Amino acid sequence: MPPQRDSAVDSTLSSRAFDRPPRTDGYAPIRDYAALGDGRTAALVALDGSVDWLSLPDLDSPSVFAALLDARRGGRFALAPEVPYAVERRYLPDTNVLETTFSTADGVVRVTDALTMPDRSLGPLRELARHIEGLSGNVPMHWSVEPRFGYGARPGRVGRRMGIPVADAGSVALAVHSFEAGDAKVNAESIAGRFEAQQGSRSIVALCIAHQEPLVFPARAELEQRLEHTARDWRVWVAGHSYDGPYREAVTRSALALKLLVHAPSGAVAAAATTSLPEEIGGERNWDYRFCWVRDSAFTLDAFLQLGCASEARAYFWWLMHASELTHPRLQALYRLDGGSRAPERSLPLEGYRRSRPVRVGNGAVDQLQLDTYGELLQTAYLYALAGNDLDRDVARRIAQTADFVAELWRRPDSGIWEVRSRPVHFTQSKMMCWIALDRALELAERGAIPAGHAPRWRTEANELRTFIETGCWSAIQRSYVRFSGSEELDASLLLGVLSGYGDPTGERLSGTVDAIRRELAHGPYVNRYSGEDGLSGSEGAFVSCSFWLAEALARVGRIDEAIALMDELVELANDVGLYAEEIDPATGEFLGNIPQGLSHLALIGAANAIATEVRR
Amino acid sequence: MSIWAAIAGGFAGTLLLTTIIRAAAELGLTRMDLPFLLGTAFTADRIRATAIGYLLHFVSGLIFALVYYGIFVAIDAKGWWLGAVFGLAHGLFAGTALVNILLPVFHPRMGNSGTAAGGRVALLEPPGFMMLNYGPRTPLVTLVAHIAYGAVVGGFVGLGS
Repeated sequence: MPPQRDSAVDSTLSSRAFDRPPRTDGYAPIRDYAALGDGRTAALVALDGSVDWLSLPDLDSPSVFAALLDARRGGRFALAPEVPYAVERRYLPDTNVLETTFSTADGVVRVTDALTMPDRSLGPLRELARHIEGLSGNVPMHWSVEPRFGYGARPGRVGRRMGIPVADAGSVALAVHSFEAGDAKVNAESIAGRFEAQQGSRSIVALCIAHQEPLVFPARAELEQRLEHTARDWRVWVAGHSYDGPYREAVTRSALALKLLVHAPSGAVAAAATTSLPEEIGGERNWDYRFCWVRDSAFTLDAFLQLGCASEARAYFWWLMHASELTHPRLQALYRLDGGSRAPERSLPLEGYRRSRPVRVGNGAVDQLQLDTYGELLQTAYLYALAGNDLDRDVARRIAQTADFVAELWRRPDSGIWEVRSRPVHFTQSKMMCWIALDRALELAERGAIPAGHAPRWRTEANELRTFIETGCWSAIQRSYVRFSGSEELDASLLLGVLSGYGDPTGERLSGTVDAIRRELAHGPYVNRYSGEDGLSGSEGAFVSCSFWLAEALARVGRIDEAIALMDELVELANDVGLYAEEIDPATGEFLGNIPQGLSHLALIGAANAIATEVRR
Repeated sequence: MSIWAAIAGGFAGTLLLTTIIRAAAELGLTRMDLPFLLGTAFTADRIRATAIGYLLHFVSGLIFALVYYGIFVAIDAKGWWLGAVFGLAHGLFAGTALVNILLPVFHPRMGNSGTAAGGRVALLEPPGFMMLNYGPRTPLVTLVAHIAYGAVVGGFVGLGS
């Protein structure tokens, strides 16, 4: 006999409008995605309960679910009521465990999703667990797993083992292990089931994943224990870190989002969990961000240190030193998460998010000259040493050699921080970061952390570099530094001059640059990256990290009230679970670009910390 | 014929067999992982299981080499080609009776076609006939690896005379 319906819940439900979250041509808004992760890979879950992105076995591996990039052929794991519903969700406090509550006219169901962490029991290599609890009434539920291995290339071989549906292709296999979730119907395209979630019922549909090994089918109790263990692990991680400034909730969520992007075996931090989510709907600005960018390094290390994540900071620094050793003294803009240096770019035969093509994997920016990366590397080493860590002799020698290389290289034009695909020019921000590189090398040499033999040359070159910037990259008309030497265009990355310590932030020139960027590139809380050409067709949204950089710059130039007002607006722009993509369309508020975007969350942490520091003064 | 040559051949043959299977896994030809299968009989810890599994795998390689040696002595014949024939028979035995009948007898986590899911501990995916559950090319990989193993053992025993 079904449990009695809760009349209090029913009366609440009857007053609600039940309507599934809208999709356009099968695509959910990018804003609708929450992320799950286990330190090896990440999954994106839409507001309607569909897991539309999962790459296996690692974050930068080919996808098994990619409905995000091709709604018809990409593959997904759908789980939702069969009847109209209203939906609310949240992460369980201080975790990356997602809780989605579906309210229908027939009752309420709660789904708890996680990519679980290994515990002491023998578990699958990766496990996407979906626990379904009936809270009231009787809700008809439907689930469907449509695996498409190799970025949608093939459905794989579908069959059963001990009655459990499985699908495999090559070295990857997955089992759909369900408990009290109806009989699984298996065909060549999908594994699906129906059941009724009744008040008090507890069902599980778990995806058990193997790579180059036999599948492991966990027992129900093990699945339940592992979900609890995972939530506990996340809470312990959060509790072990320190941040007691303003915007604590946003900073904690950002730290958790960053932790999702950390590749556990190496300590590398991916720029985002996805590839080719467009910067313009229907446009060509679609990039694979599942690599670690050197340019994010100083922000990452600074954020880890400020949050008290010493072990993550150490792991990241040593990953960076290890990866860059392969190309030393030249630095690539990005490296693979395993430290490899090859990232050849190619297009996939997928439709693209709302027909935004091409869908790319790999990243051609790997071959660009981006001078700012040298400044980021030296700044990272400086912050690492400043935090009391020792640089060993080999690393110290390599850092000094990198400074030598910068002294030779800075006169060359480059593609800049924004990786423009137009011809290289003398980007001001690149020159500023080269100056930072030489300045930090001098600081480290003075502290005895790196060999000081070439310090006089670094000082001479730094002086020449500053003269170049101050004479060729300043516009008396704009009263601002400009995008590149001789231009009148503006660039929000010049805010990094303030953030990185290129000169006195309260001085006329940096302060004037902050004003000019706010005047010319900002619209309310939104900040565009730059004015002018970049070698690509179309346009893009406002860049989220630039908005947070502006808030941080305002704090650092002493305009704390403006910084707080901007920050208050920016924190409200996150999606329902506190995540940010790369960009936001100022006209619609729609998210654009890859999600969750590490740089957006790093910039949030930096801005919150800067405001906290200024408020304490 | 030297028993030490058989032991040396068993070690070299197991190295080659392991390399072939690992390379096949990297190439996406199979999900077979013999050390993982063996090690999880003793521990639920993945790292320990792999370590124990490799140890048992190499010990098994030496034991099988001694079995080959015994047969060489019994029939008074030897050579890499005869070892390769033994390897083929060994591979067929491993893919049928060994992993599907004998392994589940002592392996507490090995399911088989008659096992129902829903027990109290995790179970491993059963290998199936010729370990086809671990990929359609697994039988080919298994046979090639075992033929190579047998040829090396036979070759070492031949060299040792």
